[in-house]
Amino acid sequence: MANVRLVDLTKHYRRGGEVIRALDGVTLDIDKGEFIAVVGRSGSGKTTMLDLMGLLLRPTSGSLFIDDIDTVKLGDRELARMRARRIGFVFQEYNLLSGLNVLENVMLPLRYVKEGRNGRARAVELIERVGLSDRARHRSTELSGGQAQRVAIARSMVNSPSLILLDEPTGAVDTETAQQLVDLLKRLNQEDQVTIVIVTHDLDIAKQATRQIRLKDGKVLSDEKTQVGGAAPGLPPAQKS
Amino acid sequence: MEIARNFYRHKLRSALTISGIVIGVLALTTMGALAENFNALLDGGVQYYGSNVQVGPPVGQAASLLPLTKIDEIRQVPGVAAAFPTYGFSAKPGAVTVVSFGIPDTIIASDPTEAAWSSLKTSYAQGHAIDADSSGEVVLGSTIDKEFNKKIGDAIDLPVKPRDASPDFVNHTFKVVGILNVTRTAPDSFAYINITDGQMLLKDSLPVAVRDVIDVTKIAEGIDVYAKAGTPISELDKIADRINGHVSGVKASKPSDLVNSFKQGGAIFTAITTAAALLALIIGGLSVVNTMFMAVAERVREIGLKKAVGATTLDIMGEFLAEATLIGVVGGVIGYGLGALITILVNATTPPGQSTLFLITPNLTILAIGFATALGAVAGVLPAWRAARLDPVIALRNE
Repeated sequence: MANVRLVDLTKHYRRGGEVIRALDGVTLDIDKGEFIAVVGRSGSGKTTMLDLMGLLLRPTSGSLFIDDIDTVKLGDRELARMRARRIGFVFQEYNLLSGLNVLENVMLPLRYVKEGRNGRARAVELIERVGLSDRARHRSTELSGGQAQRVAIARSMVNSPSLILLDEPTGAVDTETAQQLVDLLKRLNQEDQVTIVIVTHDLDIAKQATRQIRLKDGKVLSDEKTQVGGAAPGLPPAQKS
Repeated sequence: MEIARNFYRHKLRSALTISGIVIGVLALTTMGALAENFNALLDGGVQYYGSNVQVGPPVGQAASLLPLTKIDEIRQVPGVAAAFPTYGFSAKPGAVTVVSFGIPDTIIASDPTEAAWSSLKTSYAQGHAIDADSSGEVVLGSTIDKEFNKKIGDAIDLPVKPRDASPDFVNHTFKVVGILNVTRTAPDSFAYINITDGQMLLKDSLPVAVRDVIDVTKIAEGIDVYAKAGTPISELDKIADRINGHVSGVKASKPSDLVNSFKQGGAIFTAITTAAALLALIIGGLSVVNTMFMAVAERVREIGLKKAVGATTLDIMGEFLAEATLIGVVGGVIGYGLGALITILVNATTPPGQSTLFLITPNLTILAIGFATALGAVAGVLPAWRAARLDPVIALRNE
């Protein structure tokens, strides 16, 4: 069963008299547990596709199914509910709330899932899994870039979503830290069978995905299974990035 | 918790915004307490004059004197259940009258049984009512008692002899037999004596040339007329009309005219004081609007993130409204507390014998804090709406 299905999905913008085809008739099936890298030049439609899959944007035409739910027909409230329960986000700039500590940042999505139970325990477990147990009470401003991004990854997982979308998650960290983050994502992908879609410019990272989708001018230029993928290495506890 | 942290992150800005509300609520509390005090005074008049018909001399008569026989005539008028003679004298003749929210000290001579007919009820802090058959007894209101610092059994000379009194000035020694509880209206400044003593003071007040010619036991300064208990004011108005129609040489005033004049006076005063205070508070509210717009502008990415992780438009609106409302609540509570403190201090330093200026009531408390809270919430609506309507895609990538 496909976790995510894009059917002739388009997103057009109008700028002045010109129509910008940010995404132009993309059809894809993404199965549960896949680790996908979306690559392409700037303006190729990567982020637009991610925003559409994250239900942050509404498509101009086409269909988008998540867990077999036709999201195009949903209202704003239902879309928010889908985002809260089924989708996790990780951004290049971490987007942690500076007024909250690590644990509170990880627990933030729980606030919008009213019937969420054992949320705190889940958040504590995730903080442990990303190796930041000793930082749980620290403010986000006291973390390094790699640590902050690991907090963001834990936050994206707290509601046990089926899909995690990452927009250039390694764009603001050094190469070594980037690799540690990818290792963490691979491990979570394998252990939780969560679908991961990562938008990246970094081909070394893209190669580590199980599938690589290349976009150009809003269309799928190539869609290939990769050889590498591979098992995630173990993560040492409380790594300092 | 998160709201408190947001306040703490911008301590100075939060303090300045809350200060705006504090100043407004402080103004509302003090001006409101002034109005409440004034209204309590007027309410006493409304209660008293709304429960009887005041009968005095006809229009054009210089001296406020009526034959007591008029009481018997008035008692024959349909609807009249009781009528009592009254006498009133300044307790401090010749004293300089200044602008005041209180009633001047006054000696009231009346039948002690009249109290049972009046809607304006008094109660005794100490002692008891004057005995209708005795003489030389006085019951003091709370303010006049404090002014002269008297206790039960003490003697008091009334009227108080002015420094520049003429050689023929006469006053009498009365024994304090009762002290009234605070009413916040006219009885606080009154000294009550019985009718016989009142007639004695009336004689003292007459010009020497006629003092021995007029028999004061046969005249009154005014007559208070009562219908049976529970009679509506409209019926009392009709009784006043009937008295004017049936009894010559008197003028009965319609209770509704007196009550309306009290109410109008109170309404105008309340409107002026409250409007001034609300103006200050609304200016404070504008500072909340400004602060909340700044908060939205600073937290665009935070709003985008919250929407991305599942917050609905209502969730975001609720969070910003809660923040604005909390500013109102904090400002309201502090402003009310400071305002109440000021009124208490000013009241405490009021010289004995002068009416206090302020009255804090439960209604005022609810108005002050409730209005500040509502103002904060209303001030937050537009910024919260703007926050809630932000496009998450644009908000997340806001620089």
